[in-house]
Amino acid sequence: MLSGLFTVHLLTYYAAPDMKKAFAQLTFLVMLFFSAWFLLSKVDFMKLLNVEHYSKSTEQKLGELIYESISETQTVETDSASLAKLDEIKVTICSKNSLDTAGIKIHLIKSKEVNAFALPNGHLVVYTGLIDDCESAEELSGVLGHEMAHIEHHHVMKKLVKEVGLSALMVVTGGNGGGQVVKQLVKLLSSTAYDRKLETDADMTSVDYLCNANIDPEPFANFLYRLESEVEKGAPKEIYWISTHPESEKRAQEIVKYIKTKKVVKRPLMLTADWEAFKNGVKDL
Amino acid sequence: MSGAERFVAQPDTDLERASNGYLMSLVVLMAGLPLPVINLLATLFFFIANRKSNYFVRWHCMQALLAQFSLFLMNSAGLYWSLSIIFGDKSVSNAYIAYIITIVLFNAVEFFAFMYTAIVVRQGKHVEWFVYGSFANVLCRP
Repeated sequence: MLSGLFTVHLLTYYAAPDMKKAFAQLTFLVMLFFSAWFLLSKVDFMKLLNVEHYSKSTEQKLGELIYESISETQTVETDSASLAKLDEIKVTICSKNSLDTAGIKIHLIKSKEVNAFALPNGHLVVYTGLIDDCESAEELSGVLGHEMAHIEHHHVMKKLVKEVGLSALMVVTGGNGGGQVVKQLVKLLSSTAYDRKLETDADMTSVDYLCNANIDPEPFANFLYRLESEVEKGAPKEIYWISTHPESEKRAQEIVKYIKTKKVVKRPLMLTADWEAFKNGVKDL
Repeated sequence: MSGAERFVAQPDTDLERASNGYLMSLVVLMAGLPLPVINLLATLFFFIANRKSNYFVRWHCMQALLAQFSLFLMNSAGLYWSLSIIFGDKSVSNAYIAYIITIVLFNAVEFFAFMYTAIVVRQGKHVEWFVYGSFANVLCRP
């Protein structure tokens, strides 16, 4: 800005009087524009227009509607021991990353699908198939961290607004949407990918979360490598997380590269016996 | 010879053409609001179509074109920011709302200025705007 003004000043100094006048007026107009913008930006429009309140309440209603639709069509597990273990991982990640623990609500769904996905308003759905496919608690925590990053960075609402449109979401939350639209939203969130940029952001944030919580992030990359190789070998269609997270090998490589820049103090998240007991418990559900 | 002296006693057809330069911008401004480049292109085509007209017509087309160009820059930045919010990873903020209000204000001022100038020029009076008039004087020679 200053260099721009300086250039304008030089030009006006050496130019003809007409040009000098024109540039002086232009400088004044540019300054008027930026001053108006600067002064207006001092007004708290977000509070004044209740932007945060409306977007929060829309997200809240959407989250409730979508989760309701899932719980009506799929089996929600209420086994306290399994849920307690999942919560333990969540609390470990949240507490070391200053995240609101109550803001993230984990739900366990009985299904062979290797999948986990985030819903609006902090709902995080984990399928029992995912736990069964993970080889360690660290792998699972990497996936959970990834989905928590989608929640914390508001990727879920962004995806819905982009794919469906804000007006359509308002209609759904207004009570005129009907079950079919909500079902479409469930399908959209559980079986389609986010933008590559958002996925990378969630991957790297997950690594940050894990590092801050002294959880080894390497198993998360290994998990992605393994899923990719399972798909190459002709994996069953149950591996949904890979279909919603394409280019896993490339992402795993980026994660490994990113890990090298971090200092990680690795502490086991769960004893092997505890992890096995947890997996068996989930398998028996 | 400077200012209004250069623009006295214009034929009626020239007054109409000069006035149309502003009217054209107004109509296209309303039609092409979401895509700022449309306004600029329309005004540019009108300017090119009248580049062999007399000085009075060329001068007013130039003033309209310069005003449209500044609007194009402001509105393009606003459009890019809005699209980044809808499709990208940016979110609504006080700075964004303030920017949108600022460009709406500048657009409104230019809209009324266009309207006023179109009427007044049609009556044969010369109107020289702040900034754009000065640049039109520099860029457009008799």
